[in-house]
Amino acid sequence: MNSQAVFTAMLPEHLLLLGLVLLVLLEILGRWPRAALNVALGCVALAALSAAVLSYQGFSGAPFPGHFSVDPAGLAVKAMVLALTLPVLLMSREDFASGEFATLVISSLYGVCLVQSSDSFLTLFLGLEILSIPVYTLVLLAYQRPACAEAALKYLVLGGTATASFLMGVSLLYGASGNMDVATFTRALGASDNMNRAAVVLVLLAFFLKAAIVPFHTWAPDAYEAASVPVTAFMSVVVKAAVLLAVVRIFGQAQLASPLLEIVAVLPLLSMAWGNLAAMRQPGLRRMLAYSSIAHAGYLFFALLGDPAGRLQTVAFYLLAYGLLNLLAFAALPPAEDDQSRDRLENLKGLFHRAPFAALMLAMAMLSLAGIPPLPGFVAKFMIFKNVMSAGYTVYAVLGLVASYLGIYFYLRVIQFMFMSPNPSAGTGEGTGTAAAPVMAKSRAYALTATLVCLFAALWISVFPASMMARF
Amino acid sequence: MFEIALLNLVLWLPVLGIGLLLILPANVAALVRRVTLGVMLAQLLAATWLYLQFDAGAAGLQFETRLAWIADWGVHYHVALDGYNILLVLLTAFLGPLVTASAFNAITKDVKLFYAMVLLIQFAMMGTFLAQDLFLFYVFWETMLIPMFLMIGIWGGENRIYATLKFFLYTAFGSILMLAALIYLVWAQYEGSGQLSFAFADLLQTRLPLTAQGWLLAAFALSFAIKVPMVPLHTWLPDAHVQAPTAGSVILAGVLLKMGTYGFMKLGFPLFPDATALFTPVLLALSVLSIVYGACLALVQDDIKKIIAYSSISHLGYVMLGLLSLQLTGIQGAVVQMVSHGLVAAGLFLMVGMIYERCHSRELAAYGGLAKLLPVYSVFFLILTLASVGLPTTSGFTGEFLALLGGFQYGWARHLAGDNLPLVLASVAVTGVVLGALYMLRFALGFLFGAAKAPHAGEHGLADLDGREKSILVLIVLAVFALGLFPAEPLRKTELAAKHYQQLVGTSRLPGGTP
Repeated sequence: MNSQAVFTAMLPEHLLLLGLVLLVLLEILGRWPRAALNVALGCVALAALSAAVLSYQGFSGAPFPGHFSVDPAGLAVKAMVLALTLPVLLMSREDFASGEFATLVISSLYGVCLVQSSDSFLTLFLGLEILSIPVYTLVLLAYQRPACAEAALKYLVLGGTATASFLMGVSLLYGASGNMDVATFTRALGASDNMNRAAVVLVLLAFFLKAAIVPFHTWAPDAYEAASVPVTAFMSVVVKAAVLLAVVRIFGQAQLASPLLEIVAVLPLLSMAWGNLAAMRQPGLRRMLAYSSIAHAGYLFFALLGDPAGRLQTVAFYLLAYGLLNLLAFAALPPAEDDQSRDRLENLKGLFHRAPFAALMLAMAMLSLAGIPPLPGFVAKFMIFKNVMSAGYTVYAVLGLVASYLGIYFYLRVIQFMFMSPNPSAGTGEGTGTAAAPVMAKSRAYALTATLVCLFAALWISVFPASMMARF
Repeated sequence: MFEIALLNLVLWLPVLGIGLLLILPANVAALVRRVTLGVMLAQLLAATWLYLQFDAGAAGLQFETRLAWIADWGVHYHVALDGYNILLVLLTAFLGPLVTASAFNAITKDVKLFYAMVLLIQFAMMGTFLAQDLFLFYVFWETMLIPMFLMIGIWGGENRIYATLKFFLYTAFGSILMLAALIYLVWAQYEGSGQLSFAFADLLQTRLPLTAQGWLLAAFALSFAIKVPMVPLHTWLPDAHVQAPTAGSVILAGVLLKMGTYGFMKLGFPLFPDATALFTPVLLALSVLSIVYGACLALVQDDIKKIIAYSSISHLGYVMLGLLSLQLTGIQGAVVQMVSHGLVAAGLFLMVGMIYERCHSRELAAYGGLAKLLPVYSVFFLILTLASVGLPTTSGFTGEFLALLGGFQYGWARHLAGDNLPLVLASVAVTGVVLGALYMLRFALGFLFGAAKAPHAGEHGLADLDGREKSILVLIVLAVFALGLFPAEPLRKTELAAKHYQQLVGTSRLPGGTP
């Protein structure tokens, strides 16, 4: 493959790299601190656009055969994940004045792109690390809070464990096959000797940890709660997406068989049930959404039970619907004096009377996350359970649906607070408006743009879901 | 072509209305009300035109629209009129303007959101009736929950949060199992025919073994029976009705409950004929239990909204009885009873709402002698009470009589075959008529006659019905009498559907039969 093709195939990655270089330069120059965000937005948007265009043209190629390859469906997914980062960047203006947030996010995105295209465990490992390490730092960015350091450390240690487990599994796979292709994992799924089985379990363990599947989920609520809102949004949407896409990548065309099948079915089932149950009692929105994301990781792993041909499509569409609505919730969350009170669910009481638009958006996000039609969350959930059912796992599908029913209550509780509870302290909103009005207004405008982008995208995929499904 | 466009207009007008409300400023409540009323009236007009154009002699779907929605799954945007839904569509469109008008004075908080929710629920209900594709049906079916949840939760009574959560969680549980069943059903259909389709017409040809049919019927029936509601799944209804604002109660009683019986008629029984045959005794017993138990509970209530709520449970038991009888008279009776209950219960809830606006009490004992205080109100109230009891010439009589007759025909046929249970059950169901007279007359007696008293009457004096309220009630009473005196005309339009239903449920569809 000539250099021209190498350049084209990795265009999204190159654009991200370009953005990264620009951001570092800006940081060194130390001028125009506000420009960082716009540069980041521009380069992520261009990267997403280039991936989308390449996908649309049906481009496929392997610039580094055996390590890195792209195909139209993969590029579409890449474009989607990159595009989902745009609202995150938009809403970050409120919390982060300088460029480090954007720099870290773009480095992490580079890892996401590598993961999505990796053919060998080397690239996959590189991608996963490039993806994770900036996120540990991102959690630390909200250093004003004491809980933040603790959560970041917890996240780092468990992330390290996941890495270790992944490497151990991969080395066993290499030992068994002498091969670093991700396809060795696919083959190992069907093998029944101890070495391969141990390898598969170790690799799965790593991904369960990273995706926060019960009982490996304990880091998630802490990390989500301690990080600032855009970081939580990034972790719950983009990082989760990358992990699940990596899993789909290594599962390849493998059909699951017992006893692996039980692991891949039962732990996600537990995640759904426990995530949904534990979310009911959370006092803070981020902690609640952390448990909700644990449940959603469960649904996403359920997609692996389905027919191999439809896995990528199902997972990608689910990630799109879940990501959009999750981002909508974070972007619409109204600002408050400090982060602590912004997060408290109690403070959402009577929100409809203070900020009707924000309340409606949050309500829509909650209902969609709960999987109530006609919102996109329903079609995505339907798709997963349809595939599980059609693969013949009727009992798992029914149990999964019942587990998802458990989640309805806590989403409704948020709506109940916003619409049906009286305004607890009328007049808190006035105080903030005067002090830093121009800055506030501008960053609110960015957040509002993020909200509107998510809203229109969500409306689009709820009315024309097929138009997006066909792309993956 | 014009009718097809009109049918889509009937469905989408409320959404258009929501769009209009969005651009209106929030503080012009009067304009919001007028816009909503206008949209609803336009919808009624269009629906009436469609009703008149509906060809009673043609079987199957009319004014059909079928567009690919999610092509890979065989999901279509597929809406049409047929004998099953024609009357219910008309009923929904008829109640829309009345509901809107009834809330003009009662709702003063968040008026814009309220009317947006009324329009949204109107859209979802219309869609549920019109959908001819199971996926679309489910989407509309679930969409209904959202506006109702907000309506009870925001504008409801003192215990509204509890009531609305109970309503939502109860119905959502039924729906989630129905979702599992419908995926299974569609998949079984796909394996049989090789064609992935959610169209009712295709699914109605699925052949399934008896055990699968039994489980699927159980899941569908659970969802529908919660909506009807059938004893013992009725406990959400009194709470929801009592706490809901008047408009919410009217929508609940008028249309929402019919979703359950419509679901049974259109899907539940026809999809699984063999399981239905197997479970008919159980379902019949539950229907009769609903009739009698609902009536008994209505007899001892002190809350006037609860009396009507429990009477709904009783009245919808007749619908189930008629549907299960599989006799043409019974099925037609069930259809009339659905519409009749929609009119009468909606009317009664409206009247309760009107008195509540004046006196702020729902306690039966607090009232008395309203015939002296509010003569016009009392006349309307008495008419609706008698319609609820099933006095001949009112719609209540036609529905109950035909449904019971169907029950007896079925019972007699089974009796000749050596099975006495249906006959016994049909006889027990008749006591529901007596009990119905008892609780409604107790209600009317205490309410309208005796020593004149009404809470808060002394302070500003009780005003009798104003023009708006009178027009609402006149329309309902006219409809009640029209359906009672001339049932033949609407029944002509539903007859082919009733026969179709009878034939579908009556024919075994186990696998291995001749296709």
